[in-house]
Amino acid sequence: MKKFLVLMFAALIIAPAFAQEQTNVATKAEPAAAAKEFVVYSDKNARNNHYIPSGWMGDYGDIKLNDQAMDNPYSGATSMQFSYSSKKSQAKGWAGVYWQNPANNWGSKKGGFDLTGMTKLTLWARGAKGGEVIQKFKVGGIGIEPKATYPDSAEVETEPVELTDTWKQYTINLAGKDLSYISGGFGWVTTSDLNPDGATFYIDDIKFEADPAMKPEGKKLEGMPFYIYSDRTSPKNHFIPSGWMGDYGDIKYEGASKEDPYLGDSCIKIIYNGKAAQGARWAGIFWQNPANNWGGSDGGYDLSKAAKLTFWARGANGGERIEEFKVGGIMGEYSDSDSATIGPVILNKEWTQYSIDLKGKDMSYIIGGFAWATNIDNNPEGATFYLDEIKYE
Amino acid sequence: MSVVRKAAGRRIFLAACGFLLFVCLLGAGDSPNPRAKTYIKKLKNGHYQLIVDKKPYIVKGACYSPIPIGQNHEYDWWSDPNKPWIADGKLMKEMGLNTIRIYQPGENPEAVKRVLKDLYELYGIRVIMGHWLGFWEYPCPFYGDRFFQDKIKKEVFEMVELYKDEPGILFWSLGNENNYSCLRDVNIWPSEEVDKEPDPQKQKAIRARIYYSFINELTKQIHQIDPNHPVALGNGELVGLDFAKDYAPDIDLVACIIYRGKTFGNLFNSLKATFDRPIVLAEFGADAYDSYLQKEDQNMQAFFLESQWRQIYENLANSKAGAGNCLGGTMFEWTDEWWKHDENNPDSWKAHDTGAGWSNGSYYFDIKAEGNKNMNEEWFGIVSLSEELENGLNKRLPRKAYYVLREFWSKPALNNTKKRVKK
Repeated sequence: MKKFLVLMFAALIIAPAFAQEQTNVATKAEPAAAAKEFVVYSDKNARNNHYIPSGWMGDYGDIKLNDQAMDNPYSGATSMQFSYSSKKSQAKGWAGVYWQNPANNWGSKKGGFDLTGMTKLTLWARGAKGGEVIQKFKVGGIGIEPKATYPDSAEVETEPVELTDTWKQYTINLAGKDLSYISGGFGWVTTSDLNPDGATFYIDDIKFEADPAMKPEGKKLEGMPFYIYSDRTSPKNHFIPSGWMGDYGDIKYEGASKEDPYLGDSCIKIIYNGKAAQGARWAGIFWQNPANNWGGSDGGYDLSKAAKLTFWARGANGGERIEEFKVGGIMGEYSDSDSATIGPVILNKEWTQYSIDLKGKDMSYIIGGFAWATNIDNNPEGATFYLDEIKYE
Repeated sequence: MSVVRKAAGRRIFLAACGFLLFVCLLGAGDSPNPRAKTYIKKLKNGHYQLIVDKKPYIVKGACYSPIPIGQNHEYDWWSDPNKPWIADGKLMKEMGLNTIRIYQPGENPEAVKRVLKDLYELYGIRVIMGHWLGFWEYPCPFYGDRFFQDKIKKEVFEMVELYKDEPGILFWSLGNENNYSCLRDVNIWPSEEVDKEPDPQKQKAIRARIYYSFINELTKQIHQIDPNHPVALGNGELVGLDFAKDYAPDIDLVACIIYRGKTFGNLFNSLKATFDRPIVLAEFGADAYDSYLQKEDQNMQAFFLESQWRQIYENLANSKAGAGNCLGGTMFEWTDEWWKHDENNPDSWKAHDTGAGWSNGSYYFDIKAEGNKNMNEEWFGIVSLSEELENGLNKRLPRKAYYVLREFWSKPALNNTKKRVKK
């Protein structure tokens, strides 16, 4: 469709909502239900852009934005070019950008839109070279955890996406979600582990759409093998090692260790110094989905096809004792459907494969994909150990 | 000899067969016991029922330990001249409760018999009689030691001999989370065999084999002494039941202690896959104190308990979607116990402490309390205690859960979402 016609059409549809935004943005979120689509970004300075890419997160110093890239836009005259250097300027190891309304609103100000009736968000994206990995695209989620004064009413995220060097459309299913207040219209996040050499990519034509064909997404039955960790840059990785427990100050986590990985170019290295920084005398990490989910929010995967979880591990010296390796078992409003453990395990100096038997277990809802825990009593000098190829089979 | 028996299909034919089989097997000394007053019946569909006086019996119960304000667990309530079980039994019967679970009988047999008789004769309430199996004996329970085993056996068999003919006895229950001494870090015990094994996983397996073998010895002997009542294994969660399957096959049912918030999750199916025995939820529940808002919240307790009981009913025999292996439950607990939070400080036994002793994310309404500690041991009662005395007893004040469960038990609403407690 010609750009002119698109603009005319969009203007006709969106004008009421846009007008309301101008007058009511300080009082309440505005309904967009009457519209068939609601634009987040279409072109530089387009009047129907409703959100501003102002929410730079994590290693924000690693991000450069050219918001009028004229190099092969998907449509119109411009697209948005992001260059992520992966230099960890703020030592976070990840970075991202939220499109917000109003700009720089992290939930302290009333803004946003009532997008009830919209059932999906679509966008177009391409990598400069192809192979760039976006950890997730997302809608909403601002001000939910920790809870802000004006939190978004929903948070939806995609799986990791590996971009191609040609334009490709991506869709986030929003059917059945509460979109009554969305101040974070869209966002992307990626990590230095996934893009160790940085990434340049382009995004264009981001919009919400009211597509009656979209149905609420149940949990998809995941195929096997289902990786938690394959390699530092692998888009196959699932779950985030975000649940640091006990003496979390005693733990150093390195997700891209080059020290003799079992397979591929990297493995996980964990240093537990056993100093009891928080006084708990034990420590551990849960791999969660979404990050930091202790059962307080919906998430996770349907891993019903899994018969076991396997992983490879080795100790730096051999003899390190891990009290427990675990699958599932996070309990909360949204509890894991089951749990299974092995341990204690005394690690060998050589890579050894371990297996957690899942036969007879209900793996239909797993937000805690994997965990380990150890303690100071059995590792008074601490423990350094390595993990690799953690996967459900 | 097990008191579990399978159901017949065509009644007359199988009754005849059953009788013949019984006569034949009786001589062999290894028979199901059709005269058993209480037994477990396995139905054709693989589901289980508890049969009491020839009728299916759903265990609608509570753990019972009526410690008055100002006393602790050493108080001999069995000999309390004010007879707390009389007032409690009346309230229980009005609620629809038919069973109490007792962790271990008192030391005076006559007093114990009096309580059993009163509860049964006055209110029709039966008792699941337990024994700690020395789990809390100092310094630890030496399950690998023959002398320790013999001591426990003597106590258990004496208990069975003493009370087996009391009509109020429902079944026996051995231990209460004692499996954690083998497979978790609670009251770990040494043994020569364990100490020789350097691999900690194998150490656990050895302890589990020793413990569950001991359980089986107890069970077999109890069946000999008392063929009229089943024997339950008082197990923490389902931990170790893969060992129980191999080493304690004579156990009739599992009495599971479990705190998983609003849902038991995959418990019933998981048990079926691991150790196919019926289950009584022997300890579960929720406290009535919001540690985060720091105030009593009866609604929170009622919300969890109603949800838990609904799942128990959904997994009874002949349920459409459930596992069919649940016989009922005994929630924790009938009355509050004011001594529990600071048990070594007698002054605190007179105060209703609001401190929480541990954390459990399944009880999510108050999980954001300081240190995530949200489990208030002194507030688990379905009935709270008042400092005001009534007939010499702390006055009983039923909480909201009492009324919610009274209604649920009278008309179990499994799919009626409108009837569910809203938090």
